[in-house]
Amino acid sequence: MSDGPLIVQSDKSLLLEVDHEQAAECRKAIAPFAELERSPEHVHTYRLTPLGLWNARAAGHDAEQVVDTLLTYSRYPVPHALLVDVAETMARYGRLRLEKHPTHGLVLTSTDRPVLEEVLRAKKVAGMLGARLDDLPHDEQGVVVHPSERGNLKQALLKLGWPAEDYAGYVDGEAHPIELAEDGWALRTYQGEAAESFWHGGSGVVVLPCGAGKTIVGAAAMAHARATTLILVTNTVSARQWKDELVRRTSLTPDEIGEYSGTVKEIRPVTIATYQVVTTKRKGVYPHLELFDARDWGLIVYDEVHLLPAPIFRMTADLQARRRLGLTATLVREDGREGDVFSLIGPKRYDAPWKDIEAQGWIAPADCVEVRVSLPDASRMVYATAEPEERYRLAACTPEKLGVVRDLVTRHAGQPTLVIGQYLEQIDELAATLDAPVITGQTPVKERQRLFDGFRSGEIGLLVVSKVANFSIDLPTAEVAIQVSGSFGSRQEEAQRLGRLLRPGDPGPDGERKVAHFYTIVARDTVDAEFAQNRQRFLAEQGYAYRIIDAQDLTGA
Amino acid sequence: MADQLRSWPDERLQRLLTDRPDLATPAPHDFGQLASRAAVRSSIARALDGLTRGELSVLDALVVAGQTNESELVDLVHARPGHAVDVVRRLVDLALAWESPEGLRALTVVADALVGGPEAGVSGLRPRSAAPRPLDELRAVIDALPDEARALLEHVVANGSTAKPGSARIGLRPEDAESPAELLIAHRLLLPGGSLQPGLLVVPGEVGLALRGGRTTTTPVDEPPHVASEPRMARLADSAAVGAATDVVRRTGMLLEWWGTRPAAALRTTGLGVRELRAAAAHLQVAEREAALIVEVAVEAGLAGTRADADGNPVWVPTDEFDRWRDLPPAEQWTALARAWLASPRLPSLVGERGPDQKPWNALTPELAAAGMPEAKAMVLRVLAGLPDGEGLAAGTGVPSLVARIAWERPRRPRTRPDLVAWAAAEAAVLGITGADVLAPHGRALVEGGDPVAVLGAVLPKPVDHVLLQADLTAVAPGPLEPDLARRLHQVADVDSHGAATVYRFSNASVRRALDNGWTAAEVHAFLLAASRTPVPQPLSYLVDDVARSFGRLRVGAASAFVRSDDEAALAALVNHPRAASLGLQRIAPTVLVSTVPVDVLLPRLRELGAAPVVEGPDGVVRVGAPEGLRARTPRTREGADGARASARQAAQVANAVRSVRDGDEAARSRPASASAPGGGVLSALRDAVERRGVVVIGFTDNQGVVTERPVLPLVVEGGQLTARDADASDDDPDAERRYAVHRISRVVPVS
Repeated sequence: MSDGPLIVQSDKSLLLEVDHEQAAECRKAIAPFAELERSPEHVHTYRLTPLGLWNARAAGHDAEQVVDTLLTYSRYPVPHALLVDVAETMARYGRLRLEKHPTHGLVLTSTDRPVLEEVLRAKKVAGMLGARLDDLPHDEQGVVVHPSERGNLKQALLKLGWPAEDYAGYVDGEAHPIELAEDGWALRTYQGEAAESFWHGGSGVVVLPCGAGKTIVGAAAMAHARATTLILVTNTVSARQWKDELVRRTSLTPDEIGEYSGTVKEIRPVTIATYQVVTTKRKGVYPHLELFDARDWGLIVYDEVHLLPAPIFRMTADLQARRRLGLTATLVREDGREGDVFSLIGPKRYDAPWKDIEAQGWIAPADCVEVRVSLPDASRMVYATAEPEERYRLAACTPEKLGVVRDLVTRHAGQPTLVIGQYLEQIDELAATLDAPVITGQTPVKERQRLFDGFRSGEIGLLVVSKVANFSIDLPTAEVAIQVSGSFGSRQEEAQRLGRLLRPGDPGPDGERKVAHFYTIVARDTVDAEFAQNRQRFLAEQGYAYRIIDAQDLTGA
Repeated sequence: MADQLRSWPDERLQRLLTDRPDLATPAPHDFGQLASRAAVRSSIARALDGLTRGELSVLDALVVAGQTNESELVDLVHARPGHAVDVVRRLVDLALAWESPEGLRALTVVADALVGGPEAGVSGLRPRSAAPRPLDELRAVIDALPDEARALLEHVVANGSTAKPGSARIGLRPEDAESPAELLIAHRLLLPGGSLQPGLLVVPGEVGLALRGGRTTTTPVDEPPHVASEPRMARLADSAAVGAATDVVRRTGMLLEWWGTRPAAALRTTGLGVRELRAAAAHLQVAEREAALIVEVAVEAGLAGTRADADGNPVWVPTDEFDRWRDLPPAEQWTALARAWLASPRLPSLVGERGPDQKPWNALTPELAAAGMPEAKAMVLRVLAGLPDGEGLAAGTGVPSLVARIAWERPRRPRTRPDLVAWAAAEAAVLGITGADVLAPHGRALVEGGDPVAVLGAVLPKPVDHVLLQADLTAVAPGPLEPDLARRLHQVADVDSHGAATVYRFSNASVRRALDNGWTAAEVHAFLLAASRTPVPQPLSYLVDDVARSFGRLRVGAASAFVRSDDEAALAALVNHPRAASLGLQRIAPTVLVSTVPVDVLLPRLRELGAAPVVEGPDGVVRVGAPEGLRARTPRTREGADGARASARQAAQVANAVRSVRDGDEAARSRPASASAPGGGVLSALRDAVERRGVVVIGFTDNQGVVTERPVLPLVVEGGQLTARDADASDDDPDAERRYAVHRISRVVPVS
């Protein structure tokens, strides 16, 4: 029996003992086909999923390699059924191929006749396919595919368990010169590799942890494509940041970059649109759908793929002939639509070992502290008799929290601090108590921009923000975040808040990078604490150190 | 024969009785009895069942030869010379053949017991004639036959060497033969069957032999089919087998622990319902088929059984044997399961398939067994044991070739064998006896009578005595935990992921469960610290303290009544009152007492003590009320007061009495003739009625066995039948006339 670092469980999870001497080597070997699920301090959990295995197939790994890896690193005997399952699952990818035929156009072909027959008989694909072909070389069987159904067909085939490999190629799109302007900065190795493997794969998703510079990967991909590009981002602020970053990192000028959002509707060679505007629906139609046809786009970039809303999937289904780049920190979607990402945007093309990037110092370590506040008896009474839907708000907004926030702000005086809340009244109250500027959804974009800039430059040391700050805002200078209330303990939100806000700053004079502090203030014995437990689990699973302290111990801690 | 057996040395006899155990039970009186018992058809059939096709072919050749010697037999059997000699000696040892003074011969019954086609080693040739024509002469005759006659001869020989003569004439000279059949008859290649095969023509054995070149078969009989195998990575095979073995042990334990707390309902047939099986499969995270195997093996191993639950319904629960098994080392646990499986005739692989009544088979149904299953298992494992080192069954072709090989080894086995073999192979893989279709070392030890415990124990993961605690409130046991540690951890945490390792998750509920079980927070802390090789994460300690903090904050107790007062002093006085002890008063708050005595007792007693209580309803409102006076039910008054009604009733009673007297008199005159009456009362009564042309009511038993009465007008009685007309039918109704069997008529009542 080997003494490997890996334990293969029969429920298809892989446990990797981090402190084992072979751990790093093993991590590298299993990363292509297993999804990292949890990474707490001692044992990381990976999971084998069909999508993960197909991703590995798409990246050129075969079942034998996977089996060999599992056997090599496994400490205990590997369940045979699991190995058989791995081989069978992997064999399903690529049995069907989407190809461009010189005379028939888009065709679905296979050398495996039974599989093709099975698929053709499925109700789900009826109507997407045309005439049978029997003039294909090398015993291939095939069927014509309606070009408009390329995306839908891929989606349907994935659901049937026979994902098709797409060899049908891409249109070049309207050419537009884009170069990386590497002056004073250089593409990090993994960023270059990511852009490279995306380009060779055609379409797909690049998975990089928060703060690893996904925008730059996007820019590098654009420099490969040298074509007009449509970038879809989560919100306006993020759009502005993309624009700034592109101007800074590439040969593009501000005039060449258009913003297509609720307020501005510019269509330029490089256009940045928000999910919100694209998915706006009026009278049952999407008025901004024409954006996709406004130009002959050569590349479409999806920022934060794991947040991609459902309508965009439908639109993406029609864009299968264009190159698509997805950028994300995690392939795990809370709505479970990982399969759509796989079939419509593409398989995972690059995945940087998280720990490597952290070790290289691109991500800040963080100290997460949950501060528990006891409600005074009067508040507990009010809470106990409140309607269930009011409870969270009552618990989250308890005035007890104000004092704790004040203590924390005082303790971290001099460190750039963000105070994050969910409820406007509470935010206003906090702002008044702390005498700090506020950013909420109602704050005009210009004002927001000004405040964020001020925070970044260090003019403003304390900012009270609502959930608008969750996504795509780079505030690398923030060292302390205090979360007073959140939206019902969404794990996604937690990742965003932590990942986004606590970017690594420059090393201090002593060469030490800052340690970010992330405080969550929670009312004890309430739903607030229950939600906090979800967050705690999530953060701990992400490998962040986590502590719980009582508010009264805070002064001593 | 008896003499021959008598001359055998003891060990040879012992071998015979071991190989044919049915001869030894009950112990035969003498050799004559033993010899005659050995020649009994059923015993011989049983002995034949255990022979390979190669052996059966030799026996068949012996039957064809009639009487022979070893050297001639070697020529007759299409095989290596050694094969025939070895086999025939074995056949003699088995008392299926014997050395008669005239030569070697098979027991006569053997010829009848050898049934089946070539796949059962039967050549289809008849025994040779008493005075066979020389082989060369026959060959010359056969070679000279025209093509169609030869084809016909070959056809007949291939189909059991008998034929119906049809229109072929017998007794012609070859020159006069007009059809191939007649030609064959004329050449004495086809002979009349005589008294044994009346009306049939038979090809004598020597002719068949000549046709097949002097041998009973045209193909060699001593070559068992090749089992398709291919090289397997040893690492993969070992890993698969040991992995499966640990899994099956772990899952069996898991299932039975689960059944211990949540018994599985048994069906009326003692089987396990589909829903229970599905639940078990979900609990074990395996397919239902595999769950069925685990369930069946657990029961076969005596680890689970049925008993009645609290409501008297039968349920499946672990047995007390399970408690012993649970504490064994894993290798011994596995061996117990594997041995139980090996000996088990159960067919768990059929579970879920539809039976003959189109109902799916349930696991643990008593009928779900096949007598041939243990042998199929043994054969499969024996064949796998015979594969070259490092090779396993080939993918795809492996199982069919395995079936073919076992069909050769035991040709006389039933038709279901391909299924049995495939199931046995699949089940062996699940149990970890084989891995990747290679017999594992511990599996080999099991089959070959070695000690699987030692072999398996050496490769099984060593139990670990620690867990790794993590800040996401999980504990990872990086290997099988020591049973005691596992049991205690089970109380404090829930299992998140099973396998070689186990992931436990701590939650409010799991920690509270531990506290419920009598742990204290300090004990939980100490346990975690001791069990963990890593420091206890702060959030986990916090969780334990947090749960302990709120544990027991609400108190629950039983009370029958409460006493509430704003006057604390009054309550204190009541509790301390010397005569209040029997009221079970307990002060649970300054203003609240509870009592173990119900309200209706408590109230008067409190009043006796000089208190002035009032009763409070559930809504908090005081209930006041004087007790109701006692009342009895008013008795019903007699009706005697109403004179008119009484006299009317009396008049009716009198009239009734008169009528019944008259009826009784009438009945006496026309007493029914009863079937049981002596002197054929029914028949004479019927005849009487026919003569009288009078209507009678007959009581008879109809075809459904129902006793019916019907008024009829008897017309004729003859031949044991009564023809009568329904008395109430209209005159022109043609269906009114019916016949009744007289012996069915039990009584006849004249109607005047």
